[in-house]
Amino acid sequence: MVVRGLQAVSKAQNGVGAFILQCKRLEFNYCEMSGSSRGMKAFLKTRLATFAKENPGVEIVVSPRPKKHPIIRGSYINKREKVVCVRNLEVLQVLQKAELLRDASGDKIKKINKPVQSLNDSVRGIWSPYHAKGEDVHRV
Amino acid sequence: MSSVTDETGFTYIGRSSVIVSERDIVVSHSLIVSVGASSQITDEKSLAVDMGLPRRPSTMLSPSRPSSIPTIRPSSSKHRSSRPFSTSSPLSVIPNLLPTQSAKLAALHGRLDLPNKYPLTTLGRALIDPTAEPEHHLNNDGLSNLGNVLLGYYTSEYLMVHYPRLPYEILKTAMNGYIGPRALAAVGTGWGVEAAFAPGETVDPGLLQFNRVAPGTPLYKIKGGVGFNIPRKRNNMVPNFENNPSVDKLLEAETPEMKAAREAQRPGQDATTLELAMASFVRATVAGVYLHSGGLPPTKEFVHAHVLSRKLDIDKLFQFEQPTRELSRLCVREGFQQPIARLEKETGRYSRHAVFIVGVYSGEEKLGEGQGSSLPEAKIKAAISALKGWYLYSPVSAADLPSKTDGKPDLPFTPAVIDVGDIVS
Repeated sequence: MVVRGLQAVSKAQNGVGAFILQCKRLEFNYCEMSGSSRGMKAFLKTRLATFAKENPGVEIVVSPRPKKHPIIRGSYINKREKVVCVRNLEVLQVLQKAELLRDASGDKIKKINKPVQSLNDSVRGIWSPYHAKGEDVHRV
Repeated sequence: MSSVTDETGFTYIGRSSVIVSERDIVVSHSLIVSVGASSQITDEKSLAVDMGLPRRPSTMLSPSRPSSIPTIRPSSSKHRSSRPFSTSSPLSVIPNLLPTQSAKLAALHGRLDLPNKYPLTTLGRALIDPTAEPEHHLNNDGLSNLGNVLLGYYTSEYLMVHYPRLPYEILKTAMNGYIGPRALAAVGTGWGVEAAFAPGETVDPGLLQFNRVAPGTPLYKIKGGVGFNIPRKRNNMVPNFENNPSVDKLLEAETPEMKAAREAQRPGQDATTLELAMASFVRATVAGVYLHSGGLPPTKEFVHAHVLSRKLDIDKLFQFEQPTRELSRLCVREGFQQPIARLEKETGRYSRHAVFIVGVYSGEEKLGEGQGSSLPEAKIKAAISALKGWYLYSPVSAADLPSKTDGKPDLPFTPAVIDVGDIVS
């Protein structure tokens, strides 16, 4: 008469206890010469330090990318990347794109039909014809 | 204690003393058997660094951040004559960046919302597995041991207070589901920790460093569902020499070649899997919270937030051998009337898809109900449902966790239900 344990591993529920920001790295690439990087360069000079301080959980990397349009590349915990081209954008627009990448989960864009997603079983249970009462009873 | 000040005005005595004090605390928990006079060791190590090890070129320290971001990195760095991870071993890890200079490590610190009291050096040390760095005071071995104790404490009290009647086997399985290597590795991966390809001196201190198992190595030891091929010996943990004449004889008879071979098999040079190294890192991080963030209450908060908030269905961990018999023994023990299975509803008895609903009763009380395509199946499921109803009892008004009174013995305390134990046939 032995009860044996079936091995299982707990599943993550980000935000139930601690919340881990899913964006772990933001890489800002710019070109020294080209005009499309003007807003990006201004962003790096004026806004990036504040942005980095406000988001201590994100690793910030800045590197030149000569003769190309400026981009922001976000790396996520789910090992995916998202890249946004910020050519010809103004400082605040670049900031908006950086915030967009910071707040993203890294998942592919997908349609969510249900308002609630949960790992828990339904509280009400599944309807059963054997247990219905009154008019709903299904004679079997 | 060595104190070295370089030309940028950085004094490294503080960092060394942090590490030394950690060791002292760990020693006081008697998790590490013997650690020598710590200040002497520190002196020797920094001396060894001064004499033997190569200097880092200043170009390696060039920042990837723009100059507008304030950093605590020294602006000019020709020679650094002391490091927090200093060692005389040629195979050991000598980080090119100090832990305080790594953006990855700082980001991890920020992502976990660790307090400023938690130094980056400790987090960096938690990322160094014993297989990457054999020196005991530079790897996460002691921290990991301490973290394991803390995790076990909070997880076991949580489970025992919430499910006082859980059988011991299921309790162990549930513990493994929360703080086993697979679960902790999932926690570490969820924190966004990445592993270095191989340990070495050019590795960023924000990466997990460990020695990987060679491909094709036979997995002769399977433990806890984790295939693991090399038994992991603790560093500096030698056999019990006292009252062990056979060991003395062996050591006396040891030739220099044998000694060299024995030392070549030090645990720092064996290998481990990513899963085990990651789990070890998570344990060490928990220990760091205990050591730096103010003792047990913040540790409890951290463990509950990161480990116990995860989802584990306890009711799916049971595997019964003879549930009907076990239920019968339970009723005898508890003084209930003997359980009787009664057919409640059925449909299509002579069809391909018969359904039977069986309830198991003790006198007038219904203990459980099961549904099956045959009468024995339905009966067994009913017994399982009754047993789970018993084992998974959870008090409605939650009792206090024993750790509530850690450091505050005067708090009002509601004790937990203590069950008589498993059903023994």
